[in-house]
Order: sequence, then C-alpha cells, then structure tokens
Amino acid sequence: MKILVAIKQVPERDAPISIGADGKWIDESGLSYTINEPDAYALEEALQLKEKNGGEVVVLCAGPEHVTTTLREALAKGADRAIHIEADDLGERDTLGIAKLLADAAKAESADLILTGLQSDDLGLGQTGVVLAELLGIPHATIIMQVEVTGSSLKVKRELEDGWFQHVEMPLPALLTIQSGGNKLRYATLMGIKKAKTKETKTVQPAAPASSQAIILERVYLPEKQKKTEMLTGTSAEVAAKLVEKLKFEVRVI
Amino acid sequence: MVAGASVATMGVRTMGAAFLSGIHLSATLAEPTYFSRLEIALLLIGAAISIALFFWRFGPILRTIFHSKKDADFSLHPIGRRIGDFVWEVLCQGKVIRQRPLPGLAHAFVFWGFLAFALVSLNHIANAVGLGFLSPASYIGSFYFIFAAIWALLVAVSITALFVRRFFVRPIWLGKKLSYESGVIAFLIFLLMVTYLGAFFVGDGSTAVKVLWWTHTLTLLVFLPLIPHTKHLHLVISPFTVFLKRDGFSKIPPLSGDEDFGLVAGKDVTQLISLQVYSCVECGRCTEHCPASNTGKVLNPKEIILGTRSYLNEFGPASETPLLTDARVESPDNSAAKYMSMEAAFECTTCGSCEYQCPVGIQHLPIIIGLRRGATNTGEWEDTHGTKLFLALEKQGNALGLSAMERDKFIQKQGFPIFDGTQEYCLWLGCMGGYDPKGREIIADFARVMQHLGTTFGVMKKEKCTGDPARRLGNDLLFQTMAEFGLKAFETAKVQKIIAICPHCVRTISNDWREYGIAPEIEHHSEFMARHKDGLPQQNSAESIVYHDPCYLGRYRDIYEEPREIVSLAGKLVEAPRSHERSFCCGAGGGLAFLGEESGERVSHVRAAELVGTGAQIVGTACPFCNTMFRDALSAMGETPPQLLDIAQLTARALPASEMKTGE
Repeated sequence: MKILVAIKQVPERDAPISIGADGKWIDESGLSYTINEPDAYALEEALQLKEKNGGEVVVLCAGPEHVTTTLREALAKGADRAIHIEADDLGERDTLGIAKLLADAAKAESADLILTGLQSDDLGLGQTGVVLAELLGIPHATIIMQVEVTGSSLKVKRELEDGWFQHVEMPLPALLTIQSGGNKLRYATLMGIKKAKTKETKTVQPAAPASSQAIILERVYLPEKQKKTEMLTGTSAEVAAKLVEKLKFEVRVI
Repeated sequence: MVAGASVATMGVRTMGAAFLSGIHLSATLAEPTYFSRLEIALLLIGAAISIALFFWRFGPILRTIFHSKKDADFSLHPIGRRIGDFVWEVLCQGKVIRQRPLPGLAHAFVFWGFLAFALVSLNHIANAVGLGFLSPASYIGSFYFIFAAIWALLVAVSITALFVRRFFVRPIWLGKKLSYESGVIAFLIFLLMVTYLGAFFVGDGSTAVKVLWWTHTLTLLVFLPLIPHTKHLHLVISPFTVFLKRDGFSKIPPLSGDEDFGLVAGKDVTQLISLQVYSCVECGRCTEHCPASNTGKVLNPKEIILGTRSYLNEFGPASETPLLTDARVESPDNSAAKYMSMEAAFECTTCGSCEYQCPVGIQHLPIIIGLRRGATNTGEWEDTHGTKLFLALEKQGNALGLSAMERDKFIQKQGFPIFDGTQEYCLWLGCMGGYDPKGREIIADFARVMQHLGTTFGVMKKEKCTGDPARRLGNDLLFQTMAEFGLKAFETAKVQKIIAICPHCVRTISNDWREYGIAPEIEHHSEFMARHKDGLPQQNSAESIVYHDPCYLGRYRDIYEEPREIVSLAGKLVEAPRSHERSFCCGAGGGLAFLGEESGERVSHVRAAELVGTGAQIVGTACPFCNTMFRDALSAMGETPPQLLDIAQLTARALPASEMKTGE
C-alpha cells in the first residue's frame, strides 16, 4: 500500500511574527520553521498504517529550499521517500493554485491513500486537502480521528461538532484530512536521522505558473489587541446569574 | 634435592617470645625435609590441572574482554590520577574501608594478608621442586615467616568474621540467595591460613608436617581454578579495572561512527564495560545505596552489571541480540529477556551512588545511560511521558513544555537586564528558574543576593534547556541539538562566566557539552555565595535547618561544604542520616521528574520523611528539582511540615527590605 502524505512547513509556534514591507506577507527573515501540526499527525497515521499493513510512505511538500529540513525530519521519523516541489512563491498562490502543484506531483505517484492535515497552523483555510482530492478525482473525508484499512476499502472515524463522531466506509484510493491528537506522535531519533541520509528526496519544478489566481491576497496584518473589561453590578445573586449567562451564551464555555 | 637438603639442615631456631609469648611452642615454621619423586610428580600434575582449569575459564573471559568493541575515546591520560586511584582504592583499600568500615577492614586484612602471603605461597610450592628461596633458618626468612604468620592470623580472623556476616548476619545487599561458593572460598582461605600457622606448632620432620604441607598445597590448587569461576575473579582483574576506568564521574563516552547508537546489543559493549562487568564482586554496595532498589522498583544496579555479564557469557561480544527487552512486549523466557529489562534501565535517577560506592571500579552510569541510549536512539523506548518530554524540548525548548513567551514575561516582570557583555555574569535561569513558580522564586531571590553584593549580571534573551533530561534518557539527537544551540547562544552573546541555580544545568554545561564545543565557565550559586559569604548577612538564628545534598552538586561536582556554609549563616545546620556523598536522591534526576508514576514507594517521599525525621524546622535545598520533589512530598505528609527553602532564599530573607523586590 502506497501512502502519500502532503505536509506543509509553517513558522514555529512561538516565532515572533512581523509583517513584510509590502504588507502582503509576513517577514520571513530569521524565522524558524517546523512541520504543520495536523500534518505531523497525518504522517504519524501513515507510518502506523505502514507498520500494520506494510507498503511505502512518501512525503510531499511544496515550498522554498528551507522546507527540505521538514522533509528530512519526516524521513527521519520513518517515511521512505520525499518529493520537494520547489516553489518560492507560495504567498502568491491561492488554495487552488497550491492544490494544483500538489496534484501534479501526486498524479505521478498514483498512491492508494493520500493523507494530509485538516488545516494549516498559519493560514488555517482547511481546503487544500479537499481541493486536492477533487483535482485527483478521488473520494475524500475530513477531520479524521481513526483509520482502518480493510482490504481495498477504508473505515474512518470523523469528528463532528459537540462530541459527535461519524463512522464512514469508503473505497480506495482516497484522500483523508487528519485531525490533530488522534495518535501519539513519535520523537525523532538519532538512528532515524542517520537512515534519512540515505533516503531519496526528489525535487520537482512546478508546472503551473503562479499567475491568474482566483483569490488575490490584499493585505496581511497582526490581530489588534483587544482587552474588554465589563463590570457586572447588582447583588451577588444577580451578578452570578449575569455571569452564568455570559459564560453560556457569549463566551460559550459552559 | 638441593633445596630439600638445605631445608633439612634447618635448625631448631627458636624465635622465642617474638609473638604468642607465654605459650610453650617452638615458633619456627616446620617444612617437609624430603619430597619423593612420586610426590613431586603428583604436585606437578596437580598444578598443571589446576592451572589448566584456571585458564579453561579465564581464557574465554579474557577473549570476551579483548574481542569487545574498542573504547574509541580511551586514553591513559591522566596517568597520575590513575596511579592515585590505584594506590588509594586497591593498595590502601581506601574506598572499601571508608564506605563500610568493619567489613571493609576485614576485607583489607584479607587483601593485605594475601599480598604478604604471596611470597610464602610461591616459596611453599618452589620448595618441593628444590627452588625454595626463603628459609626459616635465615634471618630474612625467619623474620618473613613470622611477619606472614601475623597476617595469616589476621586473615583467618577476618575471613571468619566475613563468613559469619555472610551466613548468619546476612545483610540483604549480598543477595537473597546465599552464595555457597563464597562459603567454600572462605573455608579454603581459612584452611590455607590454618595449615600455615599449624606448621609453627608441629615438630620438625614429623608426619604432621607433611600432612599440613599437602593440605596447604591442595587447598591452593583447588583455590586457583575457583577464582575465574566465581566472583573471586576480582582478585585478578579488579586492580586493572580500577586503573583503567574512565576518567571522570558518570563519564558518558561520545558515540563513534554512523552505526553507534549506544548499548543496543553485545556488539556495542566496549572493552572497558566488559572488564568492569567481569570485575563485579557482588558486594551489593550499589544496590544498598540505590534509590530505585530501596523503594521497591525493578532496577537493581548490581543486576544490571551481572545481567550484562551473563549476556556476554551467553551471547558473546559480537552478538546482535538486544541487550534490553521490553517486558511489556516480550515474554520473559525469551532471548536475553531474563537478564535485563528496559523498565529497569529507565528507573534510574542517575544519582550515581552506585558508581560512587563501587569498590572495584565499575562505572554504572555509562552502562545504564548507554542502555538507555541504545533504546532511545533507535526508537525502541516507547513511553508516553518520555515522548511528551522530547517533543516539548524539540518544540518549546524547555522541559516543562511551556511557551517561550512565558519566560520573556517573567524576565520583564522581574526587570532582569538582558546580558549584553557589559555585565560580569550571565545568570542562567534554566527550565525551573524560567518557568516553574518555585524555581522563579529561587531565581528572583538569588538575583537579589547578587544585587546586594553589587555583582552585575544579565540573562540570556533566549534560552533553551541544556538537554540534561535528554542526555540522561539517552536521546543523543535531541541533546546535541540543545547543546549546539546553547553553545552558539553563549558565543554570540560573548558570555564569559555563568551562574546557575540548578546543579543539573551546571553539570551538563560544564561537562556534557564538551562533546560539542567549549562552554564558558559555569558555577553553581552555592559556590558563588560561599565565596562572597563575608558580604552576606549573618542571621544568628537558632532555627534548625537540615541540608539535603543534591546528587548533581555533591557526587557529581564534589561540592559539599559551600552550601553548608550558606546554611550556617542562616541558622543551625542539621545533618540528615544520609548526607554528603551518601546523600539519598530526591527522585528527580535522569529525566525521571518528567516520567510517569513510579512503581513502589516514591523516592521523594522516603527522602522527605528522612529529612523531616531530623526534627529540623527548615529543609534547605540547593537544586530546584529537589525542591519541587520535596514540595510535593512534604505537602502529602500533612500536619505541619517544615519550611522548604533554597539556599538562595535562606540568604535573601535576611537582606535589608529596601532591596526587596516583589517576586512572583
């Protein structure tokens, strides 16, 4: 069984983000990068499926030169091969544009199963996986917690809202977008890093140019800090009642 | 029969009342005057068999040791230290006596007796073939025989005492199972001494002389082959082990080449490790002081050493069979599973009392940490908490898994200046000082002490864990990443001198980082404060303070008196029953503070109870990890536990109020 995992490299969670001079993208100088967290879970799921059912895990990533560190980490954790789509202009591409890049590379692999994180930690659009499935003409399911391969079909568990789950059976080949936290991630090992040195990383050039995107990014900006304090007044009982109401309907935590 | 003849001319020279005065006897050693050809033939055959049996076992052991992997980092340098250790630990039996005075002294008498006896035994056998070189008739000979007789007496008494200890007192450290071979050996040694001493009491030329001679000889011939077959092999090899052991306490050797991941299988066991495991005398000192063994856990350091030895005996030094097996996965009667479990290896707090105590030069920590490296570097070790810790170090850069922003906020709140090269010291916060509430209090108080002394300091803008827990849990990849980050950060900031409140940070930066570069000079705050103690307030308080020696400050860094000087400024110093180099671990070291629930009793609770038992009003610590362990343990003890304060806090509480800054 050949599993393709599409991963993305994102800035580290604690990285101090600043906006670039043109206001269209973040300033990338001096940033450190890491694997997008839901993608890390997609990779983990792929590795566990391979351990159970055998086969091959191929990781796929589009981006500039520095994404190869993330690819190497994926190889160190146990992926067999890596494909790097060399693209310095991801900021100029919309979801469809990026999905096209991935689809071009994925077609050549004709994998049985494609996994990716349900969304990215930076943009959080949650569409790339779905659009990629559409481009490849294969069925997909989103927000997956568990995957079980039974012969030539899949049984998956989807997370719905409010603690509900949905169990779906679907044929292969298919694409799944994986939710964080379904598995326990593994740590990178010295042996993995050493083995990764001997594994193949293929570099491919993007076939489609970045022009004529359907969505044009106008401006990126940092969220403005808002601190709103509201004093509740009245008797203790009234204040408590108001507080409960606010917690229930405004903040929605109880 | 030249020698025989010369022996025959031996006069009845009385040594009179030289020793054993008052007893009527001729205090001269009686030796047989004549040996028949048959006797000589029997002796030679016996000796040949004895020597053959000796090498039948000793040969394969030597082969195993020599065929083990070479220690890539081994060097005889510093030779002075090696000679010093040899003289003190082997010749003087310093360690043996110091850590267990009575049995130690008994052992030392047997050892020194053996040395004195070596010439006598050689002469004894040589006599039969006419090559005797010591004659009771000569002055030197007669003196030496009496000298040896005094030792023989001491040996006989000592070995009897040791026999009584082993078979009647039965300390549990010697193992639950009685070692009958030890009994046999003790009896043989006793017999050797008695048959020697007996020869002073029999008439010359009597049959008794022959009987004694032959009994003595046969005992020797039986004793020899028993040596390599039993733990008494240490007689032969432990002097080498002591001389050759790795330089430095808990010295973890660098990995060599692309195929080295630590102790994965027999092929990874190095010559030093082989030599050490075959030297084990099974005295159980390591177990006696081990916090894991003392709280009902699987780990028993002695069994790790003996397990490695049994593994080498069964699988050899080139084997690919894993050294550790995961008991949760493998059945216990499978392959090497009967020798060592992964569970045991990961219960070690790396407190180092085993290595510190070992009288034959075994270095347990490189072995236990080596086993962990083998399991972690290959991904064999699967532990939820361990993985969580590694991922936290990978992503957040601190062991507590908190966002680095938390540290920035803390620095801002405290108003700590960022180190920019103008200050004298770089104050290293560490994970505890930067993120843990109690650790932050300690750092804040120590900063006040530095301000009081007028010492300038700054903190690093960005700081990641030193990699200590990764190092001790055997994750070399992560450790290297952390070490390289830290080294580069210090270099960029041009740091010259560092102070830290955490002995783990001090040890890792000063010692373990050496594998990847040269770190600036670092010291523990106890050393700094002790040096400046004249500028610190003398509190003249009658409060009793029990000081707990952190393993990484005491055994690892040999700092015992400095923190005591600080404690003495603050109150009345009280010693715990186990203190200084015998201090009992708090349970946090070796990355264990971050792992899951312990099996058996909690180490921290045992130690906390011991500290509370001294009746002291305050528990004084010098390590934020000990502090956090005791905080939990003391609060679980209920009632009114003693106060828990770091030495920095003990000092800062007496500083003038104007220097008070609100901490957390």
